[in-house]
Amino acid sequence: MKWIPEYRDDVPRVERFNAVARITHWGHTVTFLLCLFTGLALFLGGVDWLAAIFGGYRGAGLVHRIAAVGMTLMLVFGTVFGFTGLIAWIKDLLRFGMNDIKFLCIFPFEFLGFPVKVPPQTRFNGGEKGNSMVTPTMVILLVLSGYIMWFPSIFPAGLVRFSYPVHDLAMIFSTVMVCMHGYLGSFHPGSGESFWGMWKGTVRADWAQHHHAIWYDETYGDKSKAE
Amino acid sequence: MARLMTNLYDVSKCTACRGCLNACKDSNQLPAVIEPFKGNYDTHGGDTNGNTFTVIRFNEHDDPVDGVRWNFLKYQCMHCVDPECMKVCPKGAYTKLEWGATFHDEAKCIGCQYCTYACPFGIPKYRKHTDTVTKCTLCYERVGEGLTPACTRTCPSGALTFGFRDELLAVAEARAKYLRANGFPRATVYGKVELGSGTNKIYVLTDTPDKFGLPVDPKVSANTWVWQDWVQPYAGWLIPIALAGSAISFVTTRLLASKGGDHAEGGHE
Repeated sequence: MKWIPEYRDDVPRVERFNAVARITHWGHTVTFLLCLFTGLALFLGGVDWLAAIFGGYRGAGLVHRIAAVGMTLMLVFGTVFGFTGLIAWIKDLLRFGMNDIKFLCIFPFEFLGFPVKVPPQTRFNGGEKGNSMVTPTMVILLVLSGYIMWFPSIFPAGLVRFSYPVHDLAMIFSTVMVCMHGYLGSFHPGSGESFWGMWKGTVRADWAQHHHAIWYDETYGDKSKAE
Repeated sequence: MARLMTNLYDVSKCTACRGCLNACKDSNQLPAVIEPFKGNYDTHGGDTNGNTFTVIRFNEHDDPVDGVRWNFLKYQCMHCVDPECMKVCPKGAYTKLEWGATFHDEAKCIGCQYCTYACPFGIPKYRKHTDTVTKCTLCYERVGEGLTPACTRTCPSGALTFGFRDELLAVAEARAKYLRANGFPRATVYGKVELGSGTNKIYVLTDTPDKFGLPVDPKVSANTWVWQDWVQPYAGWLIPIALAGSAISFVTTRLLASKGGDHAEGGHE
């Protein structure tokens, strides 16, 4: 049994994510997971062993804050150095159309591994578009509500009170997305190839053509050559 | 449940000498806090802080009929019968003592300040040098030894008394009735029914609570109960559901792939 699809450098490959996108992605991975596990120590309650990993509740609180600052810096880094990529990403999300709705309807079957016919997708398919909209929004909410809770005395008390449920809900929604995203981007046989897109920057050309036909044609296919 | 013991504070007898504030500092070994003069008689900005568990507030109220009234108010933890601070505390640092005090264990506190913002009175305050939250203890160690709280013991005018809650409520009602008949028509008892189950500090006020800077109808913020009663206990279950879904998919994709060709290959075909 294979865990993730094998990296093949003997087949044609195309670039999927540049270095800035990859650094931003993995920077967020590390800081998000650190924040998640230190935060869960407080959210779950009664999990002293989890806090103990970070040196107790105060240690967990410190790691949480350091990782949160790191996460903020990753947001800034990605926005500043990957600005054109960010705009291209948002533009692709705005191309949400019938093919994405169809994708989302048949996705549960694809998710479980049934052979299905998926309509051609742009750079990000319907599910990735959903993840791209939900997770960054939740991370921005986490960062904003987090700083309000960190420095409550400089904000109105009502805003501080509002930040607690917002921080929790944003954590829950983003973690649900991260669970699905982490699985689909690695162990899922159909989309696991995209792991290499984020790790090494390239994916197999035939995989790209099959899974993201519109993107492939526009970027590497006949359409791009015609221009 | 044991009979609740409580503090009765009668505003009409208070001279604002601040003896209670000093006795509290002395008994709890709290340092003085020097704050800038703000143009009124209030010390500590009229609010509790990490090293000040109780303050006397000086509320100036310009009444169109009675003229200027100077309303004093001793302000500290109300020791709510059903305390919200206890519900939001993620470390279980708050406990309700059998006789009614809301006790905060500083050793368990991690200084997250959830309680500060959940409290309808905004009482628990963060203390930087211990990285914990502090508040009035209702002198639980003194009461445990059969003594009265330090503020009550020192009060020279008899504005503060300590005893059984049911008895003191009767005293408070009688006093409010007397005040209403003798020049304070809006005199009222505060703390009997506030927040549904009342507080374990009873006030006799010479006017409506808003004239003393107290919330007329103290409420737990909707943000706080949505967070505590819905988000915390239920919403988090979405995460294990997502994990379980991924685990199921991990198995089914591999089972189906072994039957119907190699799904993992780039082309599927």
